[in-house]
Amino acid sequence: MLKRFCMWGLAFWLSVPAFAQLKAEDVQSFTLKNGMKIFVLEDHSIPNANMYLFWNVGSRNEKQGITGLSHFFEHMMFNGAKKYGPKQFDQVMEFNGGQNNAYTSQDMTVYTDFFPATALESIFDLEADRIRDLALDPKMIESERGVVHSEYTTGLENSPEEELDQAMLSVAFSQHPYMWSVIGYESDILNWKREDLVNYFKTYYAPNNAITFIVGDVKLADVKRLAEQYFEPIPVLAPAPPVVHNKEPEQKGERRVMVNRDVPSPYVQIAYHTPEARHPDYYALDLLSAILSRGQSSRLYKALVDTQIASEAYTSFAPSIDPYLFSFTAQASDGKTADTLEAALLAEVDKVVKTGVTEAELEKVKNQKVMDFYRSIQTNNGKANTLGRYERYFGDYRKFFTASEDYRNVTVADIQRVAKTYFKKSNRTIGVLQKETE
Amino acid sequence: MKKILFFLLLALPGFSQNFKLPRYEKLVLPNGLTLLLMEQHEVPVLAVSVGLPAGAVYDGAQYGLANLTAESLKFGTKSFPKALLDEKLDFLGAQLSTYATLETALLTSSFAVKDQETVWPMIKEVLVNPAFDASEFEKRKSRLLVELKQAKQRPSAVLGEYFNHFYYGNQPYGSPADGTPESIGGITLDQVKNFYRTHYQPNGTVVSVVGDFNTAAMKAKLTTLFKDWKKGTAATQPPALKAVPNQSRVLLVNKENATETQIIIGQKGVPMNNPDYVGIEVVNTVLGARFTSWLVDELRVNHGYTYGVRSSFDMKKAGGTFVIRTFTPTKTTIPAIDLALEVIGRLYTKGIDEKLLASAKNYVKGQFPPRFETPAQLASLLTTMFTYGLNDSYINDFQAKVDALNVDSVKRIIQTYFPKDHFQLVLIGKTAEYREAAKKYGEVSEKQIETPGY
Repeated sequence: MLKRFCMWGLAFWLSVPAFAQLKAEDVQSFTLKNGMKIFVLEDHSIPNANMYLFWNVGSRNEKQGITGLSHFFEHMMFNGAKKYGPKQFDQVMEFNGGQNNAYTSQDMTVYTDFFPATALESIFDLEADRIRDLALDPKMIESERGVVHSEYTTGLENSPEEELDQAMLSVAFSQHPYMWSVIGYESDILNWKREDLVNYFKTYYAPNNAITFIVGDVKLADVKRLAEQYFEPIPVLAPAPPVVHNKEPEQKGERRVMVNRDVPSPYVQIAYHTPEARHPDYYALDLLSAILSRGQSSRLYKALVDTQIASEAYTSFAPSIDPYLFSFTAQASDGKTADTLEAALLAEVDKVVKTGVTEAELEKVKNQKVMDFYRSIQTNNGKANTLGRYERYFGDYRKFFTASEDYRNVTVADIQRVAKTYFKKSNRTIGVLQKETE
Repeated sequence: MKKILFFLLLALPGFSQNFKLPRYEKLVLPNGLTLLLMEQHEVPVLAVSVGLPAGAVYDGAQYGLANLTAESLKFGTKSFPKALLDEKLDFLGAQLSTYATLETALLTSSFAVKDQETVWPMIKEVLVNPAFDASEFEKRKSRLLVELKQAKQRPSAVLGEYFNHFYYGNQPYGSPADGTPESIGGITLDQVKNFYRTHYQPNGTVVSVVGDFNTAAMKAKLTTLFKDWKKGTAATQPPALKAVPNQSRVLLVNKENATETQIIIGQKGVPMNNPDYVGIEVVNTVLGARFTSWLVDELRVNHGYTYGVRSSFDMKKAGGTFVIRTFTPTKTTIPAIDLALEVIGRLYTKGIDEKLLASAKNYVKGQFPPRFETPAQLASLLTTMFTYGLNDSYINDFQAKVDALNVDSVKRIIQTYFPKDHFQLVLIGKTAEYREAAKKYGEVSEKQIETPGY
């Protein structure tokens, strides 16, 4: 997830909830005439509030030539509109005690405002201006291009994992736009045109292509009045945004990718194609990921890290709109080869496929999920972000409130079944990043 | 385009609710252990933060000893072998971690209230009866060696260590808290045990608990739990801070294959208990701690030199540093530094006027309450206040102190605390590209990133 601005040094959130009292019915919602749906959760524990706008556009909506444009567009949303020119969005928001950020993923672009509740109206005013009348000033495009190029460079420079991830995506996907990373190709970053941005704005930034969550010290009636005043006049753009029709075909054979980089020990990643968030197997796969790699009692830790084969080992599985990947990544311990590491990872894959998991392991990760829910909504920001992502990924924010039940229903047989179904040799890509060996 | 239109359009924000520290109680046990207890009944959860005066300032030449000692607490205890400890905590979804910063060793934990009879004894065991298992210790050392080698492949991860060591030299604040491959390789389990015996004592230690409990019951529970922890012999003091550099200097750390330069521009800062900390935060907000700050505006928005730039004060007990951190592609290294230095100078040449001050004041006040929204944030705050001897006014007077600032007092704060020369620069990157140009910033010394240490 690429963020507009990385605020280092703000060591924040860890731990604990406000979930016990929170119910699905506490979330209120209404739909404006232009199709924008707005959700409100009143919480008066601190005199602050937030606004999260989830746009249904991300790197999966791109094509080659404009890779990374969703993320670049996210940056440009801060660079001036009609009423508030360049810099004024931030100047006005900060003068009113607020701050903002944004992030882009494969599937969505999310804009976030955090402010004292007294600033609610000016936040509506600011958002409405840029949603309706973004300026896309050529001078601002050029300086922002430098910013994003710096973001691209610093990401690769400081992260071998990023370099391996990019290589893996380019091989694991042959047709679906998930094949490039959210930041895009460097050659596209350096060559996007203003008209690409203008087209993007016309195509995707219509009010019926967004949902808004507002959580905090606000009243529904005030939010409704302001939404009608500021957001409702923004016209619907026709036609509706194009549907992404690319489907990744079934993978028919193991794929491999090698990357040379000066690292102290090799990295190995193994990725399997797995289904999207709305698929019934999502919950079993998510729990399996936790069984494999969460905490020092997890399988990968015990089998690879504790035994000194790897210095770290983890799995990655997250909700997605289209089928994505379940991946295993590890870095070798001093003196251990990529082959040793790969064999150790594959042995753990085989073990799950052949013998499944235990009741105790499953019970453990179900307990962890309950604590996760508490932790994810301990703050206003956690609530807005989590509820919005459920609405977008699972089609209904209420799924958040029934997720405990959905996890609870998963059995050890389900876990073994999904492992067998997806962890097949022909369905995997293996990537190795290490020093040049010849 | 410098319109001030928006000041007229929008009403001045009103902040009716002034954030105050919620009520909490303090209790000192006979063994000297301090308990700080704050009830928060919104959720059935407890957040614990334990602070011990056992940070890396006591490392001496054995960089990383304090942190390795803190981590070793979790390698099993008299009653719980490591595997059992991990299994039980993971099973409950409880979180428990131990680590050391420069000045403090910390244990943080969060768990459901319903699980407290299981988790409290583990916390106590970890603190009071660690077993220091030899094989777990060796395994961790070997992993740490890989992590530390790997860190040098991520210049952003080691930039701070280079700067601290460059600025403080061999003084305690110059100690890299995670150690170096060379220092970690030499640390023995006996040294860890000895460090534990010397520095892990109830006297001088604080246990902060925030969450859904009854204070009287929690007092009784923790008094019993920790009653056998024997009081130590003497409270130790870290070595005093001696002279810091006062001439302009540059450290170039060469990473031959770098495509960007990681940059710190630093100077003397202030200690944690500085009475002007609020004014310093407001001025620093203008300089480099929000999106419209002068540094972000110039280096990022106007020139596109970088994705990120930030100024901050790193405050410690006996002193501190002021740093600007950024990164930029190799070819814009010198222009970016020149611009950053010019921007700092604006604090003196241009200063902060009424309107800008009003904006910065609104901003720090508006962003203050979310810093203390969760039990974990509050527990950590209580531990920090204890560690640095700050009283409740640190929080409770925050808004009044912000409100009291005016153009004149801000001018005094700039002149007293914000550096304008004698900067200490650290640059990690392909240094051949700017070696000559960097001489204008001060006396240049050079290192290769592969050279051991910082």
